[in-house]
Amino acid sequence: MRDAEPAAKATAPESLDTVVSAETPEGIVIELRPAGLTARFYAYLVDLLIRGMALSVIAGFTAPMGGVGLAIVLICAFAAEWLYPVFFELSGWAATPGKRMFGLKTVMDNGLPITPAASFARNLLRVADFLPLAYGFGVVSMLTRQDFKRLGDIAAATLVVHQPKAIPNMALSNVEPLAPALPLAIRDQTALIALAARAGGLTTDRLDELAAIAAPAAGATQPGPATTRRVLGVARWLLGWR
Amino acid sequence: MTPLQFENLYQADWDELDKLLAAIRGKRQEQRDAHGERVAALYRCACEQLALARARSYPAYLVDRLERLSSDAHQAIYQQREFGLGRLRALAAREFPRAVRAHAAYVWIALAVFVLPTLIVGLIVYSRPELILSVVDAETAAEFERMYSGTEEAIGRMRGAETDLAMFGYYIRNNVGIAFQCFASGLIAGIGSLFYLGYNGVFFGAIAGYLTERGLSATFYSFVVTHAAFELTAIVLSGAAGLRIGHALLMPGRLSRRQALVVAARESIVIVYGVAVMLLIAAAIEAFWSSAVWIPPIMKYSVAAGCWIAVIGYLTLQGRNAR
Repeated sequence: MRDAEPAAKATAPESLDTVVSAETPEGIVIELRPAGLTARFYAYLVDLLIRGMALSVIAGFTAPMGGVGLAIVLICAFAAEWLYPVFFELSGWAATPGKRMFGLKTVMDNGLPITPAASFARNLLRVADFLPLAYGFGVVSMLTRQDFKRLGDIAAATLVVHQPKAIPNMALSNVEPLAPALPLAIRDQTALIALAARAGGLTTDRLDELAAIAAPAAGATQPGPATTRRVLGVARWLLGWR
Repeated sequence: MTPLQFENLYQADWDELDKLLAAIRGKRQEQRDAHGERVAALYRCACEQLALARARSYPAYLVDRLERLSSDAHQAIYQQREFGLGRLRALAAREFPRAVRAHAAYVWIALAVFVLPTLIVGLIVYSRPELILSVVDAETAAEFERMYSGTEEAIGRMRGAETDLAMFGYYIRNNVGIAFQCFASGLIAGIGSLFYLGYNGVFFGAIAGYLTERGLSATFYSFVVTHAAFELTAIVLSGAAGLRIGHALLMPGRLSRRQALVVAARESIVIVYGVAVMLLIAAAIEAFWSSAVWIPPIMKYSVAAGCWIAVIGYLTLQGRNAR
């Protein structure tokens, strides 16, 4: 609904939303949605599990190799501890497997892809987040900030964001387009189109209820399924079906 | 223009940009460049159309489509390929030693915080060896004494290649980890770095003083002196990088605290890259050279002198004249 209520946005400077806006050199604003503690905690658990399992598999395979095997395990443990997140963040995914599973991604806080220096910094500074124990400082930092950065994120100027899911195209093919019965302001047009976009996800009763508010625009008076069809028809007309 | 007309008009462009972005993802630079011009042109159009779609309050799915498209293209176009071979060469040839010199004040402080406890505790323990017990417990002290004593299980005896390798792995995991901690804990107002530097200084001084007093200096110093050139320097440098971060947090100067922190992290991380490489070298030397007993001490001392001169020379001179 982010573009459906421009007026409301303009009059409410203190937004409850946690969106971070980043402007590109082309002058458009990219909206980043920082990921909170819960999603990142789950992602961390998954990563921990993956690393633990990989290490035990390696340890199992190299056990008969004696000193060489021990060397391999120790070097892998080092890599799992320090290089695993850096490697995956700099890959095309821009996210560790755990983050990817929960639809998260690490970017610079200006919306650009993460740089190697930033990735190293945020993952080495994890040590400071871990203090005094069990990510104490990191959790406090994330809970007190609107953009949910841990200390490493602040110093590296990075952000863990939700990757947006695609909004499906609206299916309105079953109603006849209908010209509005009275002139509609841009805001009303937007509201009608937004209602039509959500029609598939609403119960019929609720849809009827909401459509009744817009009944005058469709030249109807009585709320009911017929009015709803007319209102959706107006929405379809506004979208450009004539 | 209705949303439908708008969509029909530009649909082909958006699909083409989508396809191009999918095509260049994960490709090498030359292949990316081949599409560069077209991607850039389509991206600028998409940005313009996104601005229009937002201003005209077009339906959410349309604005969303454009947002995702321009965001994906933005990521692809402004992707920084910072870690090619050229960049690694620049790091080794210029950036690392220059970063160390740019942080000279922090390096001197870190050095003092490490060396003073080493000397003081070393001398104290040398004069009163029983005080070693206030730094490490009796078992560890006995362990160290046995390691350098020249008996059967001592570190100086012949040991297999396998043990050497295992120790190599152990040194990497342990020492690089300590250096990273020494750096990162500097974020806590520098206290963490000071603590790690001082603690390692005390520990090293106590062990050195104790073993010298026991008359094991020959085995001990010939063992540590070569890799110390890399290892002790690296610990001091990582502490210096940590101090830089802590200092930025405490005294941000004319920047905001956050900006100062970001700048400090970006500049000091270069030192940490170098530190990691130095510790890898140290681990290799410690595992395969320092522990080799068939090499006569005089040989070890000469190589060590070479290493110290090389490290200090590299840090003070390398990259001074280059552009």
